[in-house]
Amino acid sequence: MILTIEGLTKVYGALRVVDDVSFTVPSGDIVGVIGPNGAGKSTLFSLVTGFLDAAKGQVNLDRKPIGSLSPVERARSGMVRTFQVPREFSHLTVWQNLMAATPKQSGESLTNLFFRPGRIREEEDMNSQKVDAMLDFLRLSHVAHTPAGRLSGGQKKLVELGRALMTGARLILLDEPFAGVNPVLIEEIAERIRELNAQGIGFLIIEHDLGALTRLVSTLHVMDRGRLIASGVPAEVLANKQVREAYLGGTS
Amino acid sequence: MEAYLVAMAIITAIYVLLALGLNLQYGLTGLTNFGHVGFFCIGAYTAALMGQIGIPWPISFLAGAALAALAAWPLGLVSLKLRDDYFAIVSLGFSEIVRIVVTSEQWLTKGVQGITGIPKLLGFLGTGLTQSLAVLALLIAVNVLAGLANRRIVRSPFGRMIEAIRDNEEAVKALGKDPAGFKIQVLMLGAALAGVAGGFYAHYIGYIVPEQFIPLITFYVWMAIIIGGVGRISGAFAGTLILMIFLEGSRFLRGVIPFVSEVEMASIRLGIIGLALVLFTLYRPQGLMGDYTKR
Amino acid sequence: MTAYAELMIGGLMSGLVVGLAALAITLVFGIARFANAATGDTMTAGAYVALSVSGATGSVIVGGLVGALAGAAIGVVVYFLIFRKLAGRSSVANLLASIGVAFIIRAIVGVIFEHQQQVFQLPLVRPWRILDIRVQPSDLNLAIVAVLTLATVFLILYATPVGRRMRAVADDPGLARISGISPTRVMIALWALAGSVSAVAGVMYGIKTVVTPEMGWDMLLPAFAAAILGGIGHPVGAICAGILLGTIQEMATPFVGFTYKLAISFVVLLIVLLVRPSGLFGRNEGAR
Repeated sequence: MILTIEGLTKVYGALRVVDDVSFTVPSGDIVGVIGPNGAGKSTLFSLVTGFLDAAKGQVNLDRKPIGSLSPVERARSGMVRTFQVPREFSHLTVWQNLMAATPKQSGESLTNLFFRPGRIREEEDMNSQKVDAMLDFLRLSHVAHTPAGRLSGGQKKLVELGRALMTGARLILLDEPFAGVNPVLIEEIAERIRELNAQGIGFLIIEHDLGALTRLVSTLHVMDRGRLIASGVPAEVLANKQVREAYLGGTS
Repeated sequence: MEAYLVAMAIITAIYVLLALGLNLQYGLTGLTNFGHVGFFCIGAYTAALMGQIGIPWPISFLAGAALAALAAWPLGLVSLKLRDDYFAIVSLGFSEIVRIVVTSEQWLTKGVQGITGIPKLLGFLGTGLTQSLAVLALLIAVNVLAGLANRRIVRSPFGRMIEAIRDNEEAVKALGKDPAGFKIQVLMLGAALAGVAGGFYAHYIGYIVPEQFIPLITFYVWMAIIIGGVGRISGAFAGTLILMIFLEGSRFLRGVIPFVSEVEMASIRLGIIGLALVLFTLYRPQGLMGDYTKR
Repeated sequence: MTAYAELMIGGLMSGLVVGLAALAITLVFGIARFANAATGDTMTAGAYVALSVSGATGSVIVGGLVGALAGAAIGVVVYFLIFRKLAGRSSVANLLASIGVAFIIRAIVGVIFEHQQQVFQLPLVRPWRILDIRVQPSDLNLAIVAVLTLATVFLILYATPVGRRMRAVADDPGLARISGISPTRVMIALWALAGSVSAVAGVMYGIKTVVTPEMGWDMLLPAFAAAILGGIGHPVGAICAGILLGTIQEMATPFVGFTYKLAISFVVLLIVLLVRPSGLFGRNEGAR
């Protein structure tokens, strides 16, 4: 699944929060976007996934423009996002969080509920096996029946990743998956992302922190004040003088 | 005394239906319906008018439920566009409009005089205790059915999804699920329950006037589900019972405390409900019975 | 034609009442960030206090002033006891509590003043006739009161330090906190102002019609509608929208009937929320 962004722009009053941003996420690739706080990274995600309307520019999925699609429709077409502040379903258990994300459940119709309970039970059993396997893969089995609201920040990020995977997404947009996560869990999450990528799932990852990201991605884009100021392989980009000034505040 | 207790139990059972509906809407889905009494009113008037021209009660109750649900449909569409607090105001306004309509359309509803002589439910049993007990038994059966249906919904993928919507609607959209259909269905379902409650009310009391359908009733029901624990089906039963014991207890109290007129007692009841709303919001938003949600 | 002109005057008067109530709602909504459903019953309380004081002193003016003070006191007390503790909670929690407050105020009013409707004892004055249109001198007095009230409110909002802070908080609560504005002092001023404005609206409404425990609650829907039509947090908008709505309601009464005039507010509320949630004069605040 190829994502192409062309000239995406978002304006609040006189402020260009996202300013003429273009890049491509090739099928099955891992691409990173870094930049200081307020660079417009999360806004970019919201524009791509349809949670905000762009002032200008185009978003294409597999070369088809999706600008007129709603967030729900974009997610259904196989591109699913997570949020910077995790949005777990806090009163549902971790297991229920993932079950809820499973697409096309006949038990979501009230009529089926009362007239086809057998079919729903079968489906639930089937989906439950998938969820159990997923929780196993994400090392979340021990908290499967804990309300998601009680998890640590890092675990919540894993739950969001798990939910995105349960939808069957081919491209997952992760908003700061490593922020506020302890170093051990960061390696854990990075490892899971690599394994999933090996199965052909593409990732677009926003990160404020550089460490884990640079080792994960093939291409790195740098945003500053709404604009892309550099793109390329991580080592090159990080050596770029402009990037060092904007992003690292000229410290070294 | 028996007759009084049965009467109180009947009213309680009617309120349980209202509470089950609101619990589905607010407790599970997070829909801030401040106009529940409007659906109750639609159900009551429909069943009363149909009863008067001799239509059997099961049909008129179903018609009342259907009309209430139908009225909830546009409101559900509106709810998709509005923030929680704006929807609360709009739904409150909706229930006031329903009351204005039944007050004004005198050709149909007799206006403020109300509809009298609504056929008694199970009237072939006479008007004594037997009839009341039969009505109570019928209501309990309906309560049990509604409770079981609610439980099936809560434990299903549908129930999981509406709770997910309550917890975080944006995240639901991000997973490719559209909250719209769920919210509208839940609003209509809760309204239908309130409509059935209205049918029982009209056919049990025997007369209805617009004054019986003031917003205070909505907040009685809110109080009941908050006391019982927001989002809990058993809480809808327990909370309603506690509320009714309080409301009826205050009637008894009047006999004990001298110099308090019924009008003053009505004011005191209103004040205590107000105080309870404030205190629960401040100190126990999750309700007395349990720590189900923290909103 | 003269009948319409008289209807128009009646509409303007009721519009001023709606506008003042909407002003109280929009101030609280803009700064404390929730729809205060106790506004209507604060009106009622103000009207009853004014009624008894003017009965005792024989002066409607003294009565009105004491009523306004009572409204301010109610606002401040309610803030300290309840809404200060609910700051940071959801707008729905605050709204629910304000409905509780509304019930409590109405209960107290009901116990103290009973439920019969009462009227302000005003000297009967022959109406003036201007171009064959009857004009009640009391209407002119009430209009003057409304204008004076508005002048005071806008003077406080735009010419005093506490008013400037209030508007700063309304514009951006985060920014205001950083810049060291004491939220408590701003909030006390806000609730005192909103309470007294509500009370004045109640007194005016009581003088125009009758005083009953339900009078304020019935004004809530039109007042909300006007506050939203004017754009939340926009004082001038609330006044203009209130006058507009009040006038439309009265002018429409001969066509839709007395009971349905309230429905006009509801329809306006719905249309504004769905079509232009920021209101006629509003800023970017959305309805979702």
